[in-house]
Amino acid sequence: MSGPSRPPAPPPALRWTTHVRAGAVFLVLAILLTGVAYPWVVTEVAQVIAPATANGSLLRCPNGTIVGSADIAQNLSAGKAGPGLFWARPSLTDYNTTLGAESPPGPSDPELLALLNETIAWMNAENATGNSSPNAVLPYWWVAPSASSVDPDLTPSAVLVQIPRVSANTNLSVAILMGLVNDHITEPPLPYLGVAFVNVLELDIALLALEGTC
Amino acid sequence: MGFDIRSLWDIFALVGIVVALAPWFGRYLGRVYMDRPLAGDSLLLPLESAIYRLLGTSPRQSMRAREYMLALLGVNLGLIAFLFLFLLWQAALPGDPTGAPGLRWDLALHSAVSFTTNTNFTHFTNESQLSFASLTTAWPVAFFVSPATGLAVAAAMVRGFVRRDGTLGNFYVDMVRSLTRVLLPLAVLFALILVLLGVPQTFTAFVTAHPITGGTQTIYLGTVASFQSASLLGSNGGGYYAANMASPFANPSAVSDLFGTFVMMLIPFSTPFAFSTIVRRKGEAWPYLATVLIVFAVAVGVFIAYQAAANPLVSGIAAIGSQSNGYPVGQEVRFGLSDASLFQVASVYCNVGANNMQIGALSPIGQLDLLFGMFTQATPGGVGTGFGMLLLFGVLAIFVGGLMVGRTPEYLGKKIGTSHVRWAALAILVHPAIILVPTAVAFLGGFVSLAGLSPGASAHAFTSVLYEFTSEAANNGSALSAGQVNDTTPFFNLAGAAVMFLGRYVPIWAMLMIAELFAKEEALPPGPGTLKTTTVTYTLYLTLFLVIITALIFLPVMALGPLAQIVGGH
Repeated sequence: MSGPSRPPAPPPALRWTTHVRAGAVFLVLAILLTGVAYPWVVTEVAQVIAPATANGSLLRCPNGTIVGSADIAQNLSAGKAGPGLFWARPSLTDYNTTLGAESPPGPSDPELLALLNETIAWMNAENATGNSSPNAVLPYWWVAPSASSVDPDLTPSAVLVQIPRVSANTNLSVAILMGLVNDHITEPPLPYLGVAFVNVLELDIALLALEGTC
Repeated sequence: MGFDIRSLWDIFALVGIVVALAPWFGRYLGRVYMDRPLAGDSLLLPLESAIYRLLGTSPRQSMRAREYMLALLGVNLGLIAFLFLFLLWQAALPGDPTGAPGLRWDLALHSAVSFTTNTNFTHFTNESQLSFASLTTAWPVAFFVSPATGLAVAAAMVRGFVRRDGTLGNFYVDMVRSLTRVLLPLAVLFALILVLLGVPQTFTAFVTAHPITGGTQTIYLGTVASFQSASLLGSNGGGYYAANMASPFANPSAVSDLFGTFVMMLIPFSTPFAFSTIVRRKGEAWPYLATVLIVFAVAVGVFIAYQAAANPLVSGIAAIGSQSNGYPVGQEVRFGLSDASLFQVASVYCNVGANNMQIGALSPIGQLDLLFGMFTQATPGGVGTGFGMLLLFGVLAIFVGGLMVGRTPEYLGKKIGTSHVRWAALAILVHPAIILVPTAVAFLGGFVSLAGLSPGASAHAFTSVLYEFTSEAANNGSALSAGQVNDTTPFFNLAGAAVMFLGRYVPIWAMLMIAELFAKEEALPPGPGTLKTTTVTYTLYLTLFLVIITALIFLPVMALGPLAQIVGGH
């Protein structure tokens, strides 16, 4: 044989009816396999291996009432109890989970300035730090709106700065509150893998348990 | 300053793990699309044969580009129709606990095209507008079929280099094997790991809580882990919650954040090795991986640097303490700066489009950085199609390089002619066309108004519209969503659907047509005039080629949006 071998002849195309059947059957199988079997199998296993978190890390008072989820922030500054509680980050959706999440204004947008100033004015009016000086410095993370609108966590410094107000509005001393906050700091599992933070809702439930009012 | 260089060790470790696994996983991925024995055959081969019998096809029936493309369009259009009707009539399914009404037709169409084209750009709020079945069942089907389509296209395209009969394989067989050998087993494994990391997974749609300060709070639960696992693995990027991976349920810790980053990067970073396995030339994968790593590393570095910098607008507020802990506006506390940034850059550069921060609140340079990843779509780009784009850049680079040094343009023994280049150019040039035309129409046609906005706000609004069409054209799905732009109108739904459709299927068509051209050619042995494609010089040349072509196409429009925010916005 001389020269390159002749390429094999291409096979004939499938009939269009074969394509319709193959496409339709494939889609039906995909829906059953990935839309039904997949979430079902994962849910069955999840309910066995991690039931507490798989069901939303719900927080309950000793009397069994569901107070919330450790993962979802609440408006903790509201109501009669508000002044005596640690507050979470501000929420652009007012902690209404039905609204999803809102994006804060862009970094060069004057509306961002207005939003931050409005939050600061409100915090000063509510005496959020308990430090009656009008020029109190507020931690940036406490003033800035989060990405999810329901970030339940705060940096430790933004929690510590609230202690004078919480102490003034409860029967708990600054020392007791310092201890409570320090017990609730979650350190990164390895150095620099994430940051240290405090889950504010869990902290408040522990605080109410101390007071016996949860 | 507050930024500590040591905090970067974990992101180096993660990228190191991905790069270490890539040759091994890529080799497995390549063998999935070859007739070679594979782990799991004893269990899965009988199952696959049974499925082929049901479909009425067999692996021996190999298709040419036109037939492969029509089969692909058939399945994808079928999926669009299924999702469209499902979303339109989601309220008709009995027993739905959410009570969400059906979507308006234009929104249902935008969403159906968005999920099917691997985009997952959303114009709705999941919590109030999607039924439980839409979130648990309908949407995840697209999370599998759409990346399976991408993997099938990549497999077909790569086969072009090793075939001589002009055929590219059997589309249905490639789809089935993508599901049984890659996407389903990995999605189950990764979903269970997410469950162990604290992500909810339950058939309870929501729980009503009674907060300590009074009132009630609806806590949305559901099949979050299975949803997010498939979403991230297949470069989909849809979020179970509107907050996507910023939601503390979907992404509860820095560890889950890093794990999610790994899930997104695994397939796109491994695909070069699937390619080198199929074409049986080990060294050919490295120039692609190196190109991707160079661009990706610069993108992550720039992003972190600008996230760590202080915002001059905020520096004027006396009451705010130090800005040295990063930029918290639109960020979550628990991830930390470096982990959050790596996730966000990986998500956009792998064309996933999930977000763990609010992109609209990023620094202009950060936004530009993300836009650049969507302009190239190839560093590394989405599952399958990202590598397809990278191969097209490679073909063009070899052609141009060959002309410059007077060598015969050929790749892996196959000659590159003008018809190849025409198809590659079509795939690359359709991208700016479907971004710039609708962006211009949106403003000139009065669908977005900048009247009464300050210069900073109008540059931000322009960036938001540009970002939206770029994200849709690249089938990315991340959104900037500036408050000044209402994109839930019929214009944005219908224009967006058209952009996503063209942005997905025109490049796929070009990839298959090029593959057929290669598949008809006889492979020639390398001669003295052959350009070596495994050298460091070639790698740097490919990187520069990709960056310069992208910059040339998009520089003017970048100047109008993000650059204007920097220069004139303050």
